[in-house]
Amino acid sequence: MVRMRASVGPIGMDELLQEFISETQETLEALAGEVVAWEADPLDRDRLDAIFRFFHTVKGSCGFLNLPRFERLSHAAEDVLSDIRMGKRMADPATVSAVLGIMDRIGELAEAVAVGAALPSENDDFLIGALSALPDDEVVAEPEIKAQAPAPRQGGMQTGPRTIRLPLSLIDQLMNGVSDMVLARNELSRKLRERTADPELDNVFERLSTCVADMRDVISKTRMQRVDRLFAAIPRMVRDLGRELGKRIDLTLEGGDVEMDREMVEMVVDPLTHIVRNSIDHGIEIPEQRRAVGKAEAGSLRVEARQSGNQIVIAIADDGAGINTARLVEKWIAAGRLTPVAAARMTEQEKLDLIFQPGLSTASQVTAISGRGVGMDVVRANVERIGGVIALDNHPGKGLCITLRVPLTLTIIPGLIVRAGGQHFAIPRAAVVEILHDNNETLQISEVGGAKIATIRSVRHSMIDLEDVLGMEKPAQSGPRAIMVVRSAAGVPFAMGVSTVDNHEELVIRPASPLVMATGVYAGMTLPDNGKPMLLLDAAGLASAANLPDIIDDRAARQQEEAADAQSGVEMVAALRFEELSGEKRLLKLSLIERVEDVDSRLFGRSGNRAFVRLDGRLVPVANGLSQFDRDKVSALRLRDDRREACYPVAAVLDIVQMPAVPDMIAMHGLLSGVAVIDGEHLEVINPFALFASLPEEGAAERATGRCLLADAEDGWTREILAPLLRQAGHDVVLGLPGDSAVDPDDVVLCADAGAAQAAEIMGCRVVQLRASPRPVDPQDGSIYRYDQAALMAAIAGRRG
Amino acid sequence: MDQLYLLATLAGTRIAVDACEVEAVVRLTEISPVPGMGAHVAGLSALRSRVLTIIDVAALIHGRRTPAEQRGLAIIANISGHSYGLMVDGVSDICRVPEGEMPLRGQLDATWAPYARAIVEHEGHPWLLVSLSAFIEGGPTAQAA
Repeated sequence: MVRMRASVGPIGMDELLQEFISETQETLEALAGEVVAWEADPLDRDRLDAIFRFFHTVKGSCGFLNLPRFERLSHAAEDVLSDIRMGKRMADPATVSAVLGIMDRIGELAEAVAVGAALPSENDDFLIGALSALPDDEVVAEPEIKAQAPAPRQGGMQTGPRTIRLPLSLIDQLMNGVSDMVLARNELSRKLRERTADPELDNVFERLSTCVADMRDVISKTRMQRVDRLFAAIPRMVRDLGRELGKRIDLTLEGGDVEMDREMVEMVVDPLTHIVRNSIDHGIEIPEQRRAVGKAEAGSLRVEARQSGNQIVIAIADDGAGINTARLVEKWIAAGRLTPVAAARMTEQEKLDLIFQPGLSTASQVTAISGRGVGMDVVRANVERIGGVIALDNHPGKGLCITLRVPLTLTIIPGLIVRAGGQHFAIPRAAVVEILHDNNETLQISEVGGAKIATIRSVRHSMIDLEDVLGMEKPAQSGPRAIMVVRSAAGVPFAMGVSTVDNHEELVIRPASPLVMATGVYAGMTLPDNGKPMLLLDAAGLASAANLPDIIDDRAARQQEEAADAQSGVEMVAALRFEELSGEKRLLKLSLIERVEDVDSRLFGRSGNRAFVRLDGRLVPVANGLSQFDRDKVSALRLRDDRREACYPVAAVLDIVQMPAVPDMIAMHGLLSGVAVIDGEHLEVINPFALFASLPEEGAAERATGRCLLADAEDGWTREILAPLLRQAGHDVVLGLPGDSAVDPDDVVLCADAGAAQAAEIMGCRVVQLRASPRPVDPQDGSIYRYDQAALMAAIAGRRG
Repeated sequence: MDQLYLLATLAGTRIAVDACEVEAVVRLTEISPVPGMGAHVAGLSALRSRVLTIIDVAALIHGRRTPAEQRGLAIIANISGHSYGLMVDGVSDICRVPEGEMPLRGQLDATWAPYARAIVEHEGHPWLLVSLSAFIEGGPTAQAA
């Protein structure tokens, strides 16, 4: 194969070559769409000419630059296209595929030359052969084409405004310079105001201000790019996918002349590609199916961009099957992430929103095109990261329209300035649903087991205080605090308390250093006019930093609750009615219950006088202290406050009822807060506060850390018998002592050798020493017989506590 | 090896920094704290239209936050595309060291080990040659371990 880098000799050649490569790449990008359009309408003379011109130019330049492979490829393609132009040949799909193949190869070659790599040495002959493989019946259509070929239009697509190519870094430098200038102007203006007014000076300053402002506008335009670039890859993708899947698709692209920020284009490419792929793969049906339901055989896919205020709206609409929400819900129930009862109460929109939840794909099978891991949750997260919004308009059986709304530029977003802990923060306006003062009558903040719940017009939200999440002091303040309802990427809104909401501003956002981004609660930073840098909060990051639960059941329960509220006027809350193992029927507030599940009764155990249950590899305290059951499986309520979880075994879960928020009779004792009358039946109400307060504090610490380090990693008994036993018991097992000697105080070291035990003890971690003989060597021997499972487990649990 | 070094004191230790790594040395003005970060991130500070992430290097070394009134100078550096300001106690000189870098001798304090590369000698004193990027990239992980 010919290596061409070696042939670049004279001065200036490198530059010429660079120019040639980047021009080729740009034209290729622009042409990809043209070729497909040309295939759809082979008589379109303009497009044919444009493609022909491309190959012609490449051929001409590479002769000059001594690029023989480029020349051969483009020459072959030019020949075929020239035949088509003269009407000697038809542009059938095979020819178009071959032309596309050549274009791809030229692109690859260009890429290789650009990075200075050796040229990929595939055989070009195959591609060229594909071009000339003529089916016999081709030449027949000749006269027709000649007759119909429209006259070339005046001023084809090649004539545009004159452009030059600039390195991005130069533009960024220019932007920075202008920003500096604006800041200097602001300072000057402050200084001027302090002095006595001088009309002449003011005039000059005014003129300077206008110039600076104009300059800033123009510079920010250099960052703009036509949406065309975003669209460029779509026709090709649609064509290839359609062929692969045997689907016929009419693609309409509109609004390519809308301009948006260059970085924004980069950020939107992936979500858009994913949506289009989804739409072709899962949305649009195969022709037979479409015919069967009375649709046109070719599905229509419409991608449209338009500007609306300072947002770009990109709508992707297809006339396919839409989203089958029933199937979506089924999947969720099957995956155990939704109860049938809760599902029954969900609105259509809520069901539809499930598609944005992580971890599930609607497609019943994983296909090659989409539905492999990356789901709509990622699409939404990506769109929201750039301050955008994604919305679905689903018409089951008729089609789906997905709308992306993204800000015009990545760098300027409307934001709210909030104050918390004596410091200012910004938060994207799009993330804030509503703002209230905490003395508002429609708002009620309650605290349960450390968890804060804000009830706004009888809708419950998890509540956090920004100061708590960020670990700041909460200074005393005279006025009311502001409560913002913030919508996170997970889609579950939460309430966030801040000192005040100060201002609404257009913020120029810049990326923060990786060190700062690593906290996960900041999305970037901004430099307002006062010169004090300000951090931009990331709503989703805050929610996950605060470990807010993402409860779907509660959303459904809430609606029933609202209906009940309207009827009675007394504030009602949803509660679970259940039967205790001792026979009493009791109530527990539903919002505390994460889920209900059947737990193997063997998983329950007792250590000291506390009951524990092993769930998902962790020890979870049992709220009512039970550990012995007369059945194999026991229903258990999984409870959670803001940080701890607990398990509450019950005899049976009866149903969900509405109970008054305050029990009818208050009688606080033990775990109970009073008695409520539901349907004429007296039921004891569990006091969540007392419930969580009664939990052993160690439970939380234990859940957080604690590994079992097996010192004798080489020993067969340790590897084959002890390690599996511990893993089954839900412990995190590490074979051997960690090399970095970082031993957590919660870790437990298990070893057989007394010397090692002492050494480990010195390192400051707890040790369980095992011995092989059933009897201790002497009365001081603290070791445990290695087959005494109960003692061993107790020792591990006890030593952690 | 006739390279330029910036000589400074940091956490009471004489350090040298390869001048290629240094963009400027500025006197720190106001720092806006970044809540939720470890002590080694002092906050953000504006330098004209740039925003610097200010690293309290002394906090990295001995784990104590430098009190606000003792904050003086910062070395500005661009590390993987972001601007940082690394707080130092003082800056004494920028000079050429004809002998160049010498290997580390003696037992280096463990807290310095992740950052120190070599020794350079100037006017009869050894100066610990540190790499600024190690403070940014090596810092947080070293702390977590």
